[in-house]
Amino acid sequence: MFSRKRILGVLYLMLSTSVGMTLSQHVLSEDNLSEDIPRLANGKPDFNGVWQVLNTANYNIEPHAASAAMVLKAGPYGDLPHDEVVKLGAVGSVPAGIGVVNEIPYQEWARKQRDENQKNWLNRDPEIKCYLPGVPRATYMPFPFQIIQSAEAFFIAYEYAGATRNIFLKDPGPAPIDSWMGQSYGEWENDTFVIHVTGNNDQTWFDRAGNFHSDALKVEERYHFVHANLIRYEATITDEKVFTQPWTMRMNLYRRQAEDAQLLQFKCVEFVEELIYGHLRRKRD
Amino acid sequence: MTRDIQGYRLSIEAIAIAVLLLNLSSAHAEYQAPKTLFGHPNLQGIWSNSTITPLERPYYATSATISKHQAESWQQRGNAYIAISEAPIDPNAPAPTTADPEIGYESFWVDRGTDLAIVDGKIRTSLISYPSDGKIPYKTTTETKLSIFLSKIQSGFDHPEQRPPGERCLVGYGSSGGPPMLPVLYNNHIQIVQNKDHVLIHVEMNHDARIIRLNAEHSPLPTWLGDSIGEWQGQTLVVTTKHFNAGQDCRASLSHWFCMSENATITERFTRIAKNEILYQFEVDDEESFTDVWRGEIPLRAAAGPIYEYACHEGNYGMENILSGARQQEGENNHAHY
Repeated sequence: MFSRKRILGVLYLMLSTSVGMTLSQHVLSEDNLSEDIPRLANGKPDFNGVWQVLNTANYNIEPHAASAAMVLKAGPYGDLPHDEVVKLGAVGSVPAGIGVVNEIPYQEWARKQRDENQKNWLNRDPEIKCYLPGVPRATYMPFPFQIIQSAEAFFIAYEYAGATRNIFLKDPGPAPIDSWMGQSYGEWENDTFVIHVTGNNDQTWFDRAGNFHSDALKVEERYHFVHANLIRYEATITDEKVFTQPWTMRMNLYRRQAEDAQLLQFKCVEFVEELIYGHLRRKRD
Repeated sequence: MTRDIQGYRLSIEAIAIAVLLLNLSSAHAEYQAPKTLFGHPNLQGIWSNSTITPLERPYYATSATISKHQAESWQQRGNAYIAISEAPIDPNAPAPTTADPEIGYESFWVDRGTDLAIVDGKIRTSLISYPSDGKIPYKTTTETKLSIFLSKIQSGFDHPEQRPPGERCLVGYGSSGGPPMLPVLYNNHIQIVQNKDHVLIHVEMNHDARIIRLNAEHSPLPTWLGDSIGEWQGQTLVVTTKHFNAGQDCRASLSHWFCMSENATITERFTRIAKNEILYQFEVDDEESFTDVWRGEIPLRAAAGPIYEYACHEGNYGMENILSGARQQEGENNHAHY
């Protein structure tokens, strides 16, 4: 037996993931989709679980074709992998992605800065040094994250770099200091959990393609169940220093349901010690 | 006990800070914790385990507990240290030496608490409650392991791997994230969040999230902070942790230092005994390292928060300075030979 709402939900999911769809389109209102979602005893949607994206947004949040490497050099017949990554072969190539935003509305100087970042990816991307990913990039890193939710708290633990976020459920006022993961304050709009992220520093990026922001960044995240195992996620980016207008990225978060549906450990700091400190090792006599 | 360990003991003596006695009720057994939405005793909130009681009983404490009057003398000693720490710095003073390891931390930077730990209304001189002498029951081989570890802290500057995990930003200093979770010089706050199947302990130092799976089986993978599973036994959350990353065998801060093996089993017990207090108990079981189990008790007191972001690795100028300083010194020494 299929209810009208469930059919609409399936239709929404098909449309939202189909190739060629304008990403900003909303064919159905969110509140039409919330029939059989898990709820806490207090009636709030229950987001507890391990979640992960299935997209290539961490490579590039904009639409992009597959390419040979994250950083390229000119070759006799087109671009080639840069010398510093050529040994990675196919492992270092970039899978295509339909994008989670059509085109980022950069100010002119900022688009040039993004392109410059891309050329200097190896030296500039904070992910390479295992730095905290910031929001929203933490959401679409190719690692799961776990939501621990109760009536009194909402906490997100990310596998990548052991990043963490406590979501305040009462407005704490202005952030006391800028930070890598920012300050998060969440509130309910019907069944949608809306998180306002402020107090961000200017050190994180949106992806490996050099897309960046300033310390004026504000992020509004929206988490909304499509069904029990699928969250529709939106992040609206506001940064008047870098962009001409606010813009929104949209993607799906899938519940990890198999035996491995638990957060493992990816403390990558020790993996980059050679990169960061290798030149300071003692050279044997 | 080696000279290195004695040296650490003396430094602890020197920085014993103020003692404020809490007027805690001993009627803990009567307290019933509120319940979560999931029916479990509610441990949620932000808590601090800061205390000036050291892990092991110092030589000048002759008993497990002391009177308020005796505690006041500890306070006087602590006040004297604070006065020195807060005195104006002499602009003509020479550069600090390795004999003054704490000179960079005046009291402004330190948040190790002002109270001795009080459990069951008694003022404790050590966090260790068993064995009764308040000392870790080391095997000789483990004492040697600890001595080598402490010695390396003073002399290992060739590679980043020679520095302790706290300096490398792999985990917090000492046994901050544990388990057992022990107080250190600062960032002694944790946040607990509970759902139906998990208890999350967010350790402020190094933003470590311990996700304890309830009524689950251990994962075989070795991890920093170990693999933790838990269950509710009445009002008490009992957490068992195994499978540690061997890099966390030895742990040192200014108020505790010990080694164990990656095969240790740590059992922790969290019991909310008052609106503003959780009694945290732990047992370390490691036949490879100790002649007996050892146990401890620490009050976790409600704190206002918030938990701050401890972005250690992102700002780790210390590691680069330590290694580059050592290389600079080598260059000067080599130059002096010619």
